[in-house]
Amino acid sequence: MELHPALQALRSDDAPQRRAQGGLYAELDAWRADAGIAGLESELAKLARGAALETLPGLSALFSPDDPSAAALADGFVARFCAAVGRDPLGQVPLRHQLDDVTAAVMLARAGDAALLLCAVDGAALARQSAPLSVSFAPSQTFERVLAGSARITRVSRSAIVELVQAGESLTPGMVSHRDGAREALVLRSVTGTLVTLKLHLRAKAGAVTCEYRLADGALLHQAAANPRDSRLELAAALLGRMGRRDAAPMLAAMAEEAGGAGLRWQALRECLGLDTAAGFAALCAIAARPDDPLAAPAGALRAQLIETYPALAGIAPCPA
Amino acid sequence: MNLPQIDASSLPDLETLTGVFGSLAHPGQALLSDDTIVILMVFVYECLK
Repeated sequence: MELHPALQALRSDDAPQRRAQGGLYAELDAWRADAGIAGLESELAKLARGAALETLPGLSALFSPDDPSAAALADGFVARFCAAVGRDPLGQVPLRHQLDDVTAAVMLARAGDAALLLCAVDGAALARQSAPLSVSFAPSQTFERVLAGSARITRVSRSAIVELVQAGESLTPGMVSHRDGAREALVLRSVTGTLVTLKLHLRAKAGAVTCEYRLADGALLHQAAANPRDSRLELAAALLGRMGRRDAAPMLAAMAEEAGGAGLRWQALRECLGLDTAAGFAALCAIAARPDDPLAAPAGALRAQLIETYPALAGIAPCPA
Repeated sequence: MNLPQIDASSLPDLETLTGVFGSLAHPGQALLSDDTIVILMVFVYECLK
């Protein structure tokens, strides 16, 4: 393995790295003050709590077609941090960011489930990728403004009966769009130059799922939690089960009975049954008795299966409604 | 009453499984259209602060 001499030197003395990082934090503070990020974050918090974009002057200006503030925000960020990383190539820009062969994205500001992102897609790299096979619908709201570059896209809409309708369109600088991610997804077909966009994302509340469909025939390929909190809770429930934490059974029973994602609730129910048969079975019976609960049918089937396997459970089962 | 001990792993899953946040069958482009990538990133800079 070859190590760059600058990286090798850091093994014995990390002071240059710390200095570089300190410098980037100073740049971050200065940029936040210049760009009014605190004000934007307070508007993002209001947006996440349900305020309409039109009532938030800073954010709505960023997504107004003729307003110069979006370009000023992006230019100010790029100029300041490109210069800073140029001076200290080992520093990490202290904002969430992601880079691969095709895409670069940085989160400029975030509050709750709302975030402002600057994204770039490299057209030449995109052309080397194989054509996309699937499209995913994430239940989130996206406002998008094209700052530079242009693209050919396919807009894919999902109707109630999961039929994918595909339409070709173009993205050009200055375009502003709003998309309900649960019903509409974009597939980039080609990009001329580098497509730079400013995006405002409002993520779905807990319980929703992202669905991925095959473009060719609209078959459901995969579904996943649309909010990281659901996955965190599911992992915590599994961990409590493996640790044999019987004291957690009442909390898991409550999770299973709450309104929330069906996947998370079912896993909480399974773990609860494993930890405390009585508490888990009571939750199972309560869910099976709710006619409007999406888990009522599988819960009823599981109750019948458990009573057949363990007849003792029939003694504590309430009469089915 | 003596109740049986149930093995959680023997209990059935729902018909359609829900994967963890950010999981996809064909990652490719789907990540371009939402904020998953930026949420999943590793917080390298926070370790360096």
